[in-house]
Formats: sequence, structure tokens, C-alpha cells
Amino acid sequence: MTDYDALVVGSGIAGMESALKLGDMGYKVLLVEKEASVGGRMILLSKVFPTLDCASCISTPKMAASIHHPNVTALTYTEVDGISRDGDGTFKATIRRKPRFVDEAACTGCQLCETACTVAVPDQFNADMVARRAAYIAFPQAVPKKAVLERAGTSPCTYTCPAGIKAHGYVSLIRSGEYEKAFQLVLEATPLVGTLGRACYAPCEGECTRGSLEGTLPIRRLKRFAADRHYQAIDGPGVEVAPANGKGVAVVGSGPAGLTAAWQLARRGYRVKIFEAAPVAGGFLRLAIPAYRLPAEVVDQDISNVTGIGVEIATDSPVTDLEALRRDGFDAVLVATGTPLSTSLNVPGEKLDGVVSGLQFLRATRLGSAADLTGKRVVVVGGGNVAMDAARTAVRMGATETTIAYRRGRQEMPAHKTEVDDAERDGVRFSFLMAPVEVVDDGSGKVTGLRCQRMALGKPDASGRRRPEPIKGSEFVLPCDTVLVAIGMAPEGSAFGGRCASNANGTLVADPATLQTGVPHVFAAGDVTTGASDITRAVGQGRRAAHMIDRWLRGEPLAGFEMDEALPVVDKTKVLTRQVGYTHSTAPESASGSTVKRDFAEIEAPMTEAEALAGSSDCLDCGVCSECQECVTACPSDAIHLDMREQIEEVSVGAVVVATGYKLFAADAKPEYGFGRYKNVITGMQMDRLLAPTRPYNTVLRPGDGKVPERIAFILCTGSRDETVGNPLCSRFCCMYSIKQNQLIMGALPLAEVTVHYMDIRAPGKRYDEFYESAKSMGATYVKGRVAKITEKDDGNLILRYEDIEHGGALVQAEYDMVVLAVGVQPNREVDRLFSGDDLALDVYDYVAEPNEDMDPGRTSIPGVFVAGAASGAKDITDSILHAGAAAAQVAAHLESLKVPA
Amino acid sequence: MTAVKREIREIVREEPFMRGRILAALAEGPHTVPEIAEAIGRPANEAMYWVMGMRRYGWVREVKEAAVDGYFRYQAVAREQRS
Ligand SMILES: Cc1cc2nc3c(=O)[nH]c(=O)nc-3n(C[C@H](O)[C@H](O)[C@H](O)COP(=O)(O)OP(=O)(O)OC[C@H]3O[C@@H](n4cnc5c(N)ncnc54)[C@H](O)[C@@H]3O)c2cc1C
Ligand code: SF4
Ligand code: SF4
Repeated sequence: MTDYDALVVGSGIAGMESALKLGDMGYKVLLVEKEASVGGRMILLSKVFPTLDCASCISTPKMAASIHHPNVTALTYTEVDGISRDGDGTFKATIRRKPRFVDEAACTGCQLCETACTVAVPDQFNADMVARRAAYIAFPQAVPKKAVLERAGTSPCTYTCPAGIKAHGYVSLIRSGEYEKAFQLVLEATPLVGTLGRACYAPCEGECTRGSLEGTLPIRRLKRFAADRHYQAIDGPGVEVAPANGKGVAVVGSGPAGLTAAWQLARRGYRVKIFEAAPVAGGFLRLAIPAYRLPAEVVDQDISNVTGIGVEIATDSPVTDLEALRRDGFDAVLVATGTPLSTSLNVPGEKLDGVVSGLQFLRATRLGSAADLTGKRVVVVGGGNVAMDAARTAVRMGATETTIAYRRGRQEMPAHKTEVDDAERDGVRFSFLMAPVEVVDDGSGKVTGLRCQRMALGKPDASGRRRPEPIKGSEFVLPCDTVLVAIGMAPEGSAFGGRCASNANGTLVADPATLQTGVPHVFAAGDVTTGASDITRAVGQGRRAAHMIDRWLRGEPLAGFEMDEALPVVDKTKVLTRQVGYTHSTAPESASGSTVKRDFAEIEAPMTEAEALAGSSDCLDCGVCSECQECVTACPSDAIHLDMREQIEEVSVGAVVVATGYKLFAADAKPEYGFGRYKNVITGMQMDRLLAPTRPYNTVLRPGDGKVPERIAFILCTGSRDETVGNPLCSRFCCMYSIKQNQLIMGALPLAEVTVHYMDIRAPGKRYDEFYESAKSMGATYVKGRVAKITEKDDGNLILRYEDIEHGGALVQAEYDMVVLAVGVQPNREVDRLFSGDDLALDVYDYVAEPNEDMDPGRTSIPGVFVAGAASGAKDITDSILHAGAAAAQVAAHLESLKVPA
Repeated sequence: MTAVKREIREIVREEPFMRGRILAALAEGPHTVPEIAEAIGRPANEAMYWVMGMRRYGWVREVKEAAVDGYFRYQAVAREQRS
């Protein structure tokens, strides 16, 4: 017993016909279609020749029947990944149901998701003549009429963000003018929108696909733009908070990890109180990152999001006893105390007056208590971002000379390149390949210099960077008055030391996935557990901690699920090959970058609205869908689920019908006709769309400028009967569909003149020739002779050069508004990869071969596999239906023959 | 019209970005595609994609009668009338 009697691959008119006929005979059929609707090419046509019946009116009943027939199971948006023949003559097929990201049962086809969607792509169902959205319903008569979200994967920017911010999403919202929604999308992850818009090191920009063209999008500054807009106009975060759930969480530390966790927990209804040891909230955002990069008001605005939803922040409140928090009624505790301690130099003289840790110096500067450095020479030891901040701050505090001493070379510096460049622009000097060995003084305890040793780079160490090795006898003294030490940071263990285990480097031991410490109700997030990192990582940890604490407090398991499970990242090469050419159409990046100003005023200017729009419009929509969530919000039926994933099933079937249809000839392969370059040269399929009731424009218009065309030329046999493009075959229906279009155009545009350039007209069928004659009598002109070349005029008109065979072979030139290339068909080579084990034989033209086609149509080289419709060669609709009926009869005969006892 | 024809995917992608400019151009009243193109400083074949995309999703609609010079005029649709 097999799961189905027959598998039909492809639901064009042929596939539907075979499936329905087999279903009518009582066989169980599985019909698989890779697109989001059944119907194939026919449903996209205007009318059919020679009856001029409306194509959708006559195909929709069959489409509906294929979905509703009791014996036919139709799976759309599904691919057949492989078919292999079993020893008993039946088949195993692997079926991959692509995720629609839409619950088919819930979707009502209302199209509100499409209207809300922020990503526009060419509509393949309208032959690329108009845009559709990433969220789309294939076409108005789609069966099933259910939406699909086109997702190629996670966009690199979003995938890279450690904070879990949907970067592509807010970029696409800003491009659409939805600035507040962009702000809200970032708020979904963290309250620190303004902060990240300024002080984030923007790993997204490092991954942006546009980076390999003319440069990355300004993804970080776009976030700042959204934040500035929000804070200028709106008080408070403007988010909804779940009703209070009666449980309390204490958060120790108000850095990015603590603030983000508090935000997430409070939104879920927890009573949250943050305990902060310092006199101000914000952690390093307020007490380390210099104000010229991150003004205090911005951090305060971000923090007001958190307090605005009821989180209490107690400053000057160091926590020394975790148990006391429990006794005070907090059900869980999050330790997010960061790495406030500086690693010491471990050299003699370190305790001298004038040696200060970089962190302490930055903190004192932000609290207004730092010593004046006017006239002082400062040496900053270290090569990380803290060293850059300390050096640039020293410049601003009046130092006459500021030198960064680093033991490796410039390439090995862990600081971000932009930070290093900015420090250099501020006048900071760099001394590479030197290590401090002693701080020297004048004998009375006042620093006069730093004794250093020159280094050479040896073999790479565990971090992959080359290890600095001392050069013997190379010591020298770097004269200075102040030494700022910025070589590393570590957590401060006293608050939790007694209760939770620590690692050798002082970080708190917590499960990296659940962030739970050895004490079940105590979780740890951010630098205190990871070691010094950056804001985005701390934010990501804060989100994770909130999620885990929430689960733990609701009694749910902390393991066995993946938080933020993203689709795999898109392949950038694939993104870049979606297009052949790239242009940078929008306004150039403004000069509003850094200026050299040596005070604490914010350096980076905000983006103007025009800059933000232009910057966001360069986005390549790498993953197609941007995850902006607009459709999710717009859908009244709650049908959209971005977490859907593909499902793979194995089915057994008794027979297979290949009904995968044809491909259209790619008209740009005949460059002399200018398709793809000339604006008013279109294909026959595009003209059929223009003539269909569900057309892309309001009527037949030329795509170059929307003019109603007055003179239209057709060029028959484009890509057919043409050895120069490797296709000697006649495509059988291009003459007839052109004649049909001639008649329809003359009906729709009574003033239009239609001229057809042909080799010879092939109209051999019942009423076909009569159909041709009536087009002539309606006024269409038929000119025999191949068109040699088309050129485009400035006004978009087209000049055709052809040989007028019936009038002495003279070379003639004629001007038209619009040219239609009656493209022919080509085999669909996708059938190649359907079968494993047995090879499905193709004929010399690469169509599915019917070894005995005149006497035994529909049979292929594999017993039990049949072919229906245009997959075995060009056929019009009538012939496709006849052929599909024959294939169904072949399947029935095959299945019955298997039942006959041998 | 002689400007190099850009990739369709690239033109289409800019529709959300161009929408504001096009609606601003239509604020004074209905325009043909070449007029819109001129107002926003972009080629007419590109404006065609944006206007037709906007038409499809209800931002603009054609004024019923075809103008004498063979071009339809398109007008903005008030937001509350959009379906
Ligand atoms: C411009 C134009 C106008 C035409 N006008 C007419 C006309 O007026 N009258 C007329 O008789 N004929 C007309 N034709 C011809 C008509 O389109 C074909 O005869 C008909 O579509 C053939 O049907 P089919 O089912 O074999 O193939 P298709 O309609 O191509 O259907 C094949 C289906 O298989 C699906 N598929 C492909 N590969 C797979 C796979 N691996 N897994 C699952 N699904 C797959 C495809 O998505 C598609 O849905 C016209 C053709 C063109 C190009
Ligand atoms: S998430 Fe945004 S981009 Fe993706 S389909 Fe929905 S509306 Fe479109
Ligand atoms: S092009 Fe757009 S989607 Fe792609 S990485 Fe850059 S910002 Fe993200």
C-alpha cells in the first residue's frame, strides 16, 4: 500500500487535469506545486485563442476543484526534492513544504499584510511589470487565496546584531517614512535606542552587503535618527505593559544589561527594582563612555523609557548581600554589575601619584571630579577602545601631549578602527611595540616618565594575534606626568562572592544559555559573566536573562528551546547576483560626520530627514522580508508567524506524473531587440498581463512613460526557429497568442495600429486560421520578413529595420511606440533534479522524452513515470489538456496492471 | 529618456522611499507619469514602476478620462479612503 496512488508534480493546466481525471477515477492523488497557488501559466493569461474565453474564468473552476476534490490532496508552496523508485515498482518522494510564515487556516486573504509591508520586489506573476510586496498573495484569483511571506533568510545586519535588534526591519521602516515604528521596533529589544544610535560599534555595518559595493548603509546613525525623532516629539516610550503579575525581580547594576533586563521584565508585568552602586544610573554609558560620543541627556532619555513603565532605580545603593534581596521579597535576582575594576600594570611605581586607571579617569571626568590635565604630558597604556576614550578625554582635559603606548602593532590593536582614526584626528600620538616596565618618579613620588621596553612580534598566541616579545637592551624612558592604565577590566566580586562561584578571571559562573548561576534564583548577565564586551552584547545578555527569569518564575524549563531562533543568514553572493548592475541613485552621504572639536559636546551631527531616507533607500533587502513586523501587527486574524520553518515529508506513491511545464525564452538573449535595455520593448507574456483583467496598469500603457500606445509592433518567433540561440523548434503557440493579442488590443485601444513582423504564420487547428483572418479583417497588418535590429529614440519610440520580403526584399525602417517580442518556450530543466537512481531521459531539445511519442504519448523512460503538458514540448492549452488526459489514462493502466496477479 | 535603464529590482525597491516625494508632487493635483517624473527628478520609466506600485496598493488612482495627449493622470488617494 502506498500513501498515494499518484504524485503529480506541477499544477498548471496539465497537472490539474491529470490530477482531477485520476481523482475522478477513484485514485488518491498528491498534487504538488512550488508556487503559492495552483494554476500555472494559464491563470495569468488574458483570454484564450481561438474562443476568446476569459482565461481566469475557465481555469478557476479547475483550480478550485483541484483543492477541494476528495481524492486530490493539493500542496502549494511545496517542492519535490527527490523521487526514487523502490524495488516493487513504487516510488518514494521527498516533499519539502516551504514555510509560508502564514497560518493557512487562519488567513482570510484580506491582503492587509500586503498593504502594510515595507519591502517592494518585482512581481513575478505580473512578469516584473509592477511591484508586489514581500508579504503577498500570488494573484487575485489565487487558490488557495492565502498570503505568503518571501524570506530568503535572515539579513546579515539583523543576523549579526548581538542585541537581537531587527536592523533590516528598522531600515525598511525608515525608508517608508515610518520613523516612530522604527523606534518601536528597536524598543522591542532594548530601551537604549538613542544610546545604541550613537555608541554602538555597529557590527551590522561590518556585515552589510552594500559594504562590498560602494559602502555600508549608515545603520547605526539611522537608529539615532529614529531615536532623535521620537524624543523630540513624544514623552515616554509609548508601549503597552502587561498587567502586574505580583512577582518581583531585583536587578543589581544599571548598565545596558541591567536596564534591558529590567525593561523586558517590567513589560511582562514584573515589579522590577534596579540597585545601582554609583550616584547615577547607566553604568559605563554614564560613567565611562565620554560625553562627546554619548551625551548624558541621551542616556537619561533612554533610562526614562525604563522608569516610564514603572521600574524603580535606587542609585547610591550597592548590594552587598544577595540573600537580603530575597528576604525583601524579590523572587529572582539578576546580577549585572559589569567589570568596574581595572587590570593592574604589575610594574614598580604603579602606586605613584599620577598613575590612574583609565576607567577611574573617565568616571571622574563624567562626574566632574577629574584632575585638570592642562599642560600635562599623558601616556595611555593599552590598545583597546577604553584606551582610545581615555586618550581623547585627556586631550579634552587639557593635556599638551597624549601618547598611546601599545605593546603590539597598529594592526593588532583591539580598538575599532574608527576609534583609532578619531583619536588620531584629535591629535593623539601612537607608540607601538613597547611595554611598560616601570613608572619612574622625580624621587619625591611625582611621576616623570614611563620606562618601556621595545617589543617585536613573534608567533600568534591563543587570541590569534602575534605575541609581543621583548627586545633585549632596548629600554628607554617615555617622559610624562600622568600615566593612564587601560589594559583590561574585571568584575568586582564582593556583592556576590560569598554566594556564587567565580572563574579565575573574576567573572561570575553562569550557564551561558540560561544565565542561571549555581543559586537557582540568581541569574547573571552582561560583562560580569562574559568579561568586558560591548553594549550590544550586554543588551543581548539582558534580553536573554529576562526571558530566562520569566520562564523560571513561571515554572517553565530553561533548556530545550532556542531563543530568537533566526532563519540562516542569507548568502551575500546570492543577494548580489540577484541584480546585474548596481547604481547609487540616491543623495550622497552628507559631510555631517566628525569634526575636530576638542570639547565634550557631541561630535557626530544628526542625520537630516533627507539623509536618513536616502541612506535607508540603499538597502538591498538581503533577506527580502525585513522582519519589520508590520504585517504581524496588521493581520486581524493573527495568522502571521515568522517562526514557521520548512517541513520535510517522505511519501510513497504508485506512479508519478511530471507536469512541470515550460520556461519562457529570455528575451534579452537577442540583444539586437533591446529587451531589458529599451523601455518600451516587452514580451508576449507581458502583453498578455497588460490585457488581463488583473493587469498591472489601468490599461495597456507603455512601460517607459505610461503613454497609451498608438503604434504597436509584434516580432514573432523571438527565440524560436532560431539556431543562433540554440532553439530550432517552433514554439507552436506564439503566432496564435500574438493574433489573439492583436484582436484584444484593437478592442481595447480602437485607435491603435497593430503590425506583425513574421516569418510565416502557423495557424493549423480548428478555427485557428479563421481566427487569423478575422484579425486581419479587424485591421492588423502582417509583414513578412525578419526584423534585423531595433534602436531606441530619445522619446522612447522604437525604430525597426527589416527586410520586406513581399515587396521585393527592400530594407525598410518603421517607427513604433511599443514593440512586443513574441517569445517562444524553452524546456524546464528543473525536472533534471527530480529523480535519483533512474535517469529521466530528455529528448535532444531537453524536453522530457516520450520514447514512443506517436503511439504511446505520456510514457517516459522510467516505468511508472509519465509526462503531461508542455513539459514534453510546446503545447497550447487544448493540446496540454488532451495530453494530460492521456497521461492520466496511462497512469490508470499502469496502476491496474500492477494489481493483476502475475 | 536616454538615461541608462536601471535594474528593475533596484527601481522597485525604491518605491517606499519615493512614495513621499510622489505624494508631495500630487498634492497640487493629478499629474501624468512624465510630469511626476519631472517633479521628482527621476526618469519616467522609473516613475512608472513607483506610480503603478502605489496604484496597486491604493496610494494613487487614475483620473477616469484619458487625457488628449495619450497620458492618464494620477491622483493621490486620501489615507482614510485606502482599503
Ligand atoms: C504569452 C502567452 C500567451 C499564451 N496564450 C495562450 C492562449 O491564448 N491559448 C492557449 O491555448 N495557450 C496559450 N499559451 C500557452 C499556455 O500557456 C500553455 O499551453 C500552458 O500553460 C501549458 O500548461 P502546463 O501545465 O503544461 O505548464 P505550465 O502552465 O507552465 O504549468 C507548470 C506548473 O508546474 C509548476 N512547477 C514547475 N516545476 C515544478 C517542480 N519542480 N515542483 C512543483 N511544481 C513545479 C510551475 O510552477 C507551474 O505552476 C500562451 C503562452 C504564453 C507564453
Ligand atoms: S515582516 Fe515586514 S518586511 Fe517582512 S513581510 Fe512582514 S511587513 Fe513585509
Ligand atoms: S543591504 Fe540592507 S538588509 Fe542587507 S545587510 Fe545592508 S542594511 Fe542589512
